[in-house]
Amino acid sequence: MEMKPLIQLSNLSYAYPYAPPAIQNINQTINAGEKIAIVGSNGAGKSTLLLTLNGMLRPVDGRITFQGKPVLYDKKSLRTLRQKVGFVFQDPDVQIIAPTVWQDVAFGPVNLDYPEEKIKEVVQEALHKVGLEGFERRPPYHLSGGEKKRVAIAGVLAMDPDVLILDEPTSMLDPAGSEDIMDLLDELNQHGKTIIISTHDVELAYPWADRVILMENGRITASGTPEKAFSDRELVKRARLKTPILLELCQELAARGIKNGGKLPTTVLDIIRIIENEHHGNIRLFENGYGSIHVADVDLLSGKKAVAFMNDMRCDTVGVMGSRAKICSRQWGITPDISYAVIDKCILQAMNGKTCAIFTSKGMVSRVIERVNEFNAINNRSIPVQEISVQTPDDQ
Amino acid sequence: MFAHDFLEEAAQNNALLQIHPHTKLFLGLGTIFLVLFAPHFLIPFIASLVLSITIVFIAKINLKFYLSLLSIPLGFATLSVLVVILLSKGQEPIWSWQVLSWLPLSISQESLNRGLLIFFRIMGGMSALFFISLTTPMTDLFGVMKQLKVPDLFIDLSMIIYRFIFIFIKKAHDIYLAQQMRMGYSKPKEAVKSYSMLFGSIFITSWDAGEQFINAMECRCYNGKYPKNVSYNPVEWRSLTPVILFLISIIISSMLASGYQG
Repeated sequence: MEMKPLIQLSNLSYAYPYAPPAIQNINQTINAGEKIAIVGSNGAGKSTLLLTLNGMLRPVDGRITFQGKPVLYDKKSLRTLRQKVGFVFQDPDVQIIAPTVWQDVAFGPVNLDYPEEKIKEVVQEALHKVGLEGFERRPPYHLSGGEKKRVAIAGVLAMDPDVLILDEPTSMLDPAGSEDIMDLLDELNQHGKTIIISTHDVELAYPWADRVILMENGRITASGTPEKAFSDRELVKRARLKTPILLELCQELAARGIKNGGKLPTTVLDIIRIIENEHHGNIRLFENGYGSIHVADVDLLSGKKAVAFMNDMRCDTVGVMGSRAKICSRQWGITPDISYAVIDKCILQAMNGKTCAIFTSKGMVSRVIERVNEFNAINNRSIPVQEISVQTPDDQ
Repeated sequence: MFAHDFLEEAAQNNALLQIHPHTKLFLGLGTIFLVLFAPHFLIPFIASLVLSITIVFIAKINLKFYLSLLSIPLGFATLSVLVVILLSKGQEPIWSWQVLSWLPLSISQESLNRGLLIFFRIMGGMSALFFISLTTPMTDLFGVMKQLKVPDLFIDLSMIIYRFIFIFIKKAHDIYLAQQMRMGYSKPKEAVKSYSMLFGSIFITSWDAGEQFINAMECRCYNGKYPKNVSYNPVEWRSLTPVILFLISIIISSMLASGYQG
């Protein structure tokens, strides 16, 4: 990926009135297209740092540049900045300010003086992206926690920002809801948005992020790939966090002389690979056949065809990737087995001889095939992956 | 949910939600207006009956909930109508009783008619009002206000109030439960203390929410504008025709009744 600096922070400090500095001496460069997780305990200064990024807080010291230009704090520049750097609050009840979903999502575009037709168009598109079509006239107190979060995200997406900042995006959601939101963030990142989240959930940040920034007492103590940022046990402990379970497992395996092949694991798939290397071969149940992965574009399928296909192929596992595919599968009555980190989990299933079907939307199909082929090439495997052909005999 | 006994909650779930609000407002307001001029008590009685049937069977509002709503004006109407019947004077008293030297009570044919007319006007008007509030949620009325050129400031404020009412009621409900769990309202003195604490923390919460609200609006490029949704499903003849027929039949029967009396 091309590294283009988007936001640069130098010597940044901020203190709330009558309090010791909340963040100090922050130096960091955020590149376009990155997925960054800022991880730290309560009160480490994560939210403060995020609020300085879109000009909500003005640093007492230091400099922020956005797209190469220093951030200015007059009204007009702030509006431009906030349109480009979208902020999603931790509590959606704080962020949702209008009495219906449509009105709330339209809030940004209306205030940016878009013409009426364009407002309708961008609101429609934002609701489509987060999978909330048909919710336009609902009042927010009628929605579940996950739906509220989606409304909040849609409200920011409607302004078409380059950067999406989410403060503790999953802190108020159940596990399934959290996975859905993280999958949505992956999808938005695929479409070119830079995403920065803050969290203290290390298990969440570890497999998701491209880069992890550890914070402790208002300072950045580590920044790098998740494997690197979390490997220093002492640092992690001092930041009042814990080592992600996969990394701990790998460290314990290493302590017993099992090599990790030069790459620390970020997913269960990586762990299985390490164990298989040690085992010199595949580990799978004897009675299982050879697994394969089938990918389908939901826009080229109908519910009947999808179900018929799943029965024909005797699919063991169904993965659904992206909000569009999730809506379709709900309509078709297909209950997905996997709805987050779909590709890796399906490879894992296929390695154990299961047949997987992945339903996704256009553009993602080729990404799935690429990713599986890449895995095959690196690990010397031959998991067959193919797109489900649309022209089935029962085509009318 | 905490909002389950709200009119608004019922309105958000009613079966007539998709009907254009103009049609529903036309029926509700039209009935209130016509019922006020109806000369005979049967007309508001029938109007009230028809609207109640519409509310319960067509809009699918829970019957028990609707009856409990009706019982509010019912008590009020009964009391005031009793006063009217007993105190107004007519030519041929059917029944009379001198309670005290200065307080004669009597019922006559005229006072009975007048009482019934007032009673059913109240009930007719109330069921029309309930029809509006049970089938047209506030969120639709904001759009209608916009179309009626109500000043933006007023609509914006009402939308913000609407949004926050639910947040505060939920907050108050949570605090109230927490207080009850710790024996908050067990003694009268304790209850006064608990109430003051409840209102105190609601005040602080609303102050806080106000600041967060401004932040949230700033974050989303607030420039003095608040979006309003004025797009509804089209007005359908299927629903408008019975409304018009109903209103016309009230007018005709009113005219007939006044002609008959005059």
